[in-house]
Amino acid sequence: MAELNPVLLRYRGWRGSLSDNGATVTVLFGLGQFALLGLAAILTGYIQLATLTLFMLNFSLVVRSRAWPVARIAIEQLFCRRLFWGLYGLSLTVFLMYFFGQYLMSWAQNQLGESEVRVGAVGKVNPKWLLDFLRNALKFNGSAEMFRNFFWYETNSVMITLALSGSVLIGNDLRHGSLSFYLSKPLERWHYLLGKGLAVTGFLNLFTTLPAIVLFVQFGLLESWDYFADHSQLLFGIVAYGLVLSIHLTVILLALASWLRNTVPLVMAWMTLFAFAQGVSSALVDGLHYSPRWRLVDMWNCTFLIGNHLLSVPSEAIRPAPQPPVGEAALVLGLVGFLCLTLLILRVRAVEVVS
Amino acid sequence: MSDPVPLIELENLHRSFGSMQALRGLTCRIPTGRVGLLGPNGAGKSTLLKILLGLLPPSGGRGRVLGRELGSAGSELRQLIGYMPEADGLVSGLRGVDYVALAGELCGMPRREARRRAHEVLTYLELEDARYRVLDEYSLGMKQRLKLAQALVHDPPVLLLDEPTSGLDPSGRDAMLELLGKLGREHHKSLILCTHLLGDVERVCSTVLILHKGRLLRQGAVSELCARRQDRYILQIEGDPTAFRDELTLEGVNVVADNKRGEWRVTVPNGFVTRAFFSLASNHGVLIRGLSVDDESLEELFYRVLAEADPDG
Repeated sequence: MAELNPVLLRYRGWRGSLSDNGATVTVLFGLGQFALLGLAAILTGYIQLATLTLFMLNFSLVVRSRAWPVARIAIEQLFCRRLFWGLYGLSLTVFLMYFFGQYLMSWAQNQLGESEVRVGAVGKVNPKWLLDFLRNALKFNGSAEMFRNFFWYETNSVMITLALSGSVLIGNDLRHGSLSFYLSKPLERWHYLLGKGLAVTGFLNLFTTLPAIVLFVQFGLLESWDYFADHSQLLFGIVAYGLVLSIHLTVILLALASWLRNTVPLVMAWMTLFAFAQGVSSALVDGLHYSPRWRLVDMWNCTFLIGNHLLSVPSEAIRPAPQPPVGEAALVLGLVGFLCLTLLILRVRAVEVVS
Repeated sequence: MSDPVPLIELENLHRSFGSMQALRGLTCRIPTGRVGLLGPNGAGKSTLLKILLGLLPPSGGRGRVLGRELGSAGSELRQLIGYMPEADGLVSGLRGVDYVALAGELCGMPRREARRRAHEVLTYLELEDARYRVLDEYSLGMKQRLKLAQALVHDPPVLLLDEPTSGLDPSGRDAMLELLGKLGREHHKSLILCTHLLGDVERVCSTVLILHKGRLLRQGAVSELCARRQDRYILQIEGDPTAFRDELTLEGVNVVADNKRGEWRVTVPNGFVTRAFFSLASNHGVLIRGLSVDDESLEELFYRVLAEADPDG
């Protein structure tokens, strides 16, 4: 290492100040937010609005904490892979179908005076029939069912993406020893886990919650302003469903990835948990007419059931039927989440920074 | 005038894992500077490093690093200490500059500052041409420098270096040691060097700690610990040495090493006058070509101290 340029190669100190890791502030802020949330709920009754505010404020806090660089790098690592752009494109086609479907419906509504209208390659159709088809068959009607269906379609591509991203997100950190790099910095282990969780959550919400909110806003703008006031519960349901999906899938994915590390075993385990379990539960309940509680082995169905409940979808509109009680589904998810979180914490705690 | 804050201050520091005692009552006060941490495997070096980094609380006793209490200032200690690990610990898929900037951000630097500083540090470590390369493409030597860069990015007063020359070729090793020495001497960084290569410690460090089975066997300045011993000499001779050697043995001189090419290392008894070497040699037709006092190297000191502590080992 001969000195090539003495000016450039001179060591210069850094005079800025370093921020602390904000652990105390985060806890105090969280407690304060819960107090505010309770107060807002008591005073105004707008608990949904208060919850959303809490969510946004806490998110802004996380952005300022040490967990944020961990999350940002994880998201960057995901997005530098072409495969994820492909899968994101797939999910975007579902969104665009809904987005332009709603426009088509609005346009058909304005054409009701006509006996026939021309729709691109489809040819001439009766606008009343078209409107009926869009509103009732495809459920482009801004209802809870529409958002439930949208989440269902989007979750399919999310599941594939998550199965493939687990090893990139956390498996590689354990395999290549990057975790000890993170932990040798002024970072607590929960910062690391929060950062990784935030990355999965952000990724998942980019596929589900965010486009669902865009569709909600679009429908309100096309329909009438009253839609927003009448369906504020729906917006809460969308965010809450996204949150349930985020927390549940994040914890399972991170736990599995910390355990299996490589992509192929991870995908196999993921498929067993979500696809094979679905097949088994369906065969037991629908084929052999066992108790609907057997559907509880299918966690995808459990989240779907809770999502329906949060979106206030009528129970008769939930397919397949019969379904177990939603409380039991929540209990199963909670239990599985707790077990996965325990496994994850144990895995991360076992990492030695100094070898 | 008050004493300057010492780099490491330990008072009866213990650490046990179940029934296994990893550290047994370490007590020392090490001033700021370049410190070498030596010890065979299982001596407790890694445990001590973990405690110094605030990753592990001590089971008993107290300790401070630059005045910060061990055990209660976990992340504060890691902000104070730049740690260069022995293992790679690189984040796969990142570019060099992103990796170093990430290290800065994790230490609490604002993002823009971390990035600017990453460029600066990589330039200082002569990695400016490789900074946009993906980490997986770095050579071993470059990875070592990169690991130093991530430890140095937030400009910590203390650098904790775990086997910094591991896997480097001789020129890479020389360059790394020169760099570390420069950081210590010219830029007043305190270095804690943990290595099995005693030559590295001898070149870089001014102070050493020798640990064995969780106990502190020796601590102090390298120059003092390896001070010239007045009872050891190196003799360079020419001619048939057999009779001369017998005569020396009769006089109480012990030949501890013979390289069979005419160079002996000898220890002499108290009161032995070196002039006697020449008269005895002359009596037996041997020519003495050289006579010098034998300095004890750090390596010799290390093995002697270990042998004294554990004669059966």
